[in-house]
Amino acid sequence: MLTSLSDETFEQFLLQASVHTSIDLRNISFIDPFGMVGILETGRYYKSINADRTLLLPTSEHVLKYLERMDFFKHCKQYFSVQSSSTATSDMYFRKKYSDVLLEITPIEKSEDIHYIVSKVKQRAHNILSKHLHYDDSAINGFIVSLSEVCQNIIEHSENTGFVGIQKYHFQKYKKNVVKIAVMDLGIGFSGSLSDRVSLVGDLEAIEMALLKGVSRHSDEGRGHGLAAVRKFVHNWNGKMSIRSGTAKLSIIPSWSWGKSREPDLTRFPGAQINIMLPEV
Amino acid sequence: MTISYNLYSILKSRIGNGSTDLVTRQSGGVIRGIIESDLIKEQEGSIVALDFSGIGIVDYSCADEIVAKLVSRLLSGEYGDKYIMLTGLNENQRENIEVALERKDLAVMAEMRDNNKTLLGNLNNYLRETLQLIINNGKITAKDLSEAMGLESNTSGTRLLNLHKKRLVIRRDETRSGGKVWAYEPL
Repeated sequence: MLTSLSDETFEQFLLQASVHTSIDLRNISFIDPFGMVGILETGRYYKSINADRTLLLPTSEHVLKYLERMDFFKHCKQYFSVQSSSTATSDMYFRKKYSDVLLEITPIEKSEDIHYIVSKVKQRAHNILSKHLHYDDSAINGFIVSLSEVCQNIIEHSENTGFVGIQKYHFQKYKKNVVKIAVMDLGIGFSGSLSDRVSLVGDLEAIEMALLKGVSRHSDEGRGHGLAAVRKFVHNWNGKMSIRSGTAKLSIIPSWSWGKSREPDLTRFPGAQINIMLPEV
Repeated sequence: MTISYNLYSILKSRIGNGSTDLVTRQSGGVIRGIIESDLIKEQEGSIVALDFSGIGIVDYSCADEIVAKLVSRLLSGEYGDKYIMLTGLNENQRENIEVALERKDLAVMAEMRDNNKTLLGNLNNYLRETLQLIINNGKITAKDLSEAMGLESNTSGTRLLNLHKKRLVIRRDETRSGGKVWAYEPL
């Protein structure tokens, strides 16, 4: 039974969703943007193949409040039948004036959405990135540019749409604040995007070529820099980044974090799932 | 003649979502299209200054789509005998635009918000030195450059011509001591 939902437990979640028509989140006590966006994309995927899923919502009021603050319910009913054991409705949750939410779950469907995302994050950057991550003006600029580039991948490469969500957490284990960014789509994935340009062995190689070598589906000069620049920014600020696409996941792991850097043979899932975690400095 | 193109006004009129940010390749393409349609109509010899002062964030994709593509097409002669420079830049914008230019081995003159003139992008050291001398002197001929840097006249002439081909300096003909010479000036 899943008790937390993040990039670390996403495989278990996908396995559950692939074999059960009801996805049981009742015991979830922790969920991050990757978990939330992952649920939505999973629901969207199963709906697209006419295999609708039912979502059993967490019983924890704390988690439900957080889901509400992140606008999860605004999107989830499009993709799932929702069952809740809580008597509370989303309208009952008081939205605090101060929140750790840097960006609620936001659809990415067109270029204008990225203008909206950038404006929204700029407005909130001081409260969260300066105050909790101690980022200066240059780092905030790098953060927003990286966010713009990573979201643009959906429009430029996926041939589909997606979601993004960003939240600040306090990491108890390290007594540090972190900001987590999750960006996902249901598109053609990295191997699909690069297949016209290079002959690829598999998903892992496609992610490596895009992230580490700056290879793009477009042959013109100046392309393929976006993700490479995001990787550089994450590295410079001692962050962690992982990209999952198809059946593989590639992670860039700083010394303070953990995990496997290369994971092939995962559960197949369309599109790309990107997770970025940035610690305070 | 220097003509200023206010990028914020263009962004406001064409993207129309209240954004002050030059982000996304798609938006960059729209903005570049507007700039190009005006640029082509300007008089030969005009200097077009792209004014970034009302702009917030500039991402790499948009910088590539607007600045790097404009400079690249300028150098290939698509817009005729014109010059492009950037004005009103802050440090963050400068950094992101510079990355886009470096990836295409291009360079452009820029005036920062503190009015400091600087070169963005890639240029080899001896051309940088020459450019700096032109900026410091205000105007220079091949003879002046030879004297200042102890160069053969052919070398000086080639350096100045290369800077002009990169559209980083203006070239005008002047009469000196009864003969015609090329004089090079900063943008």
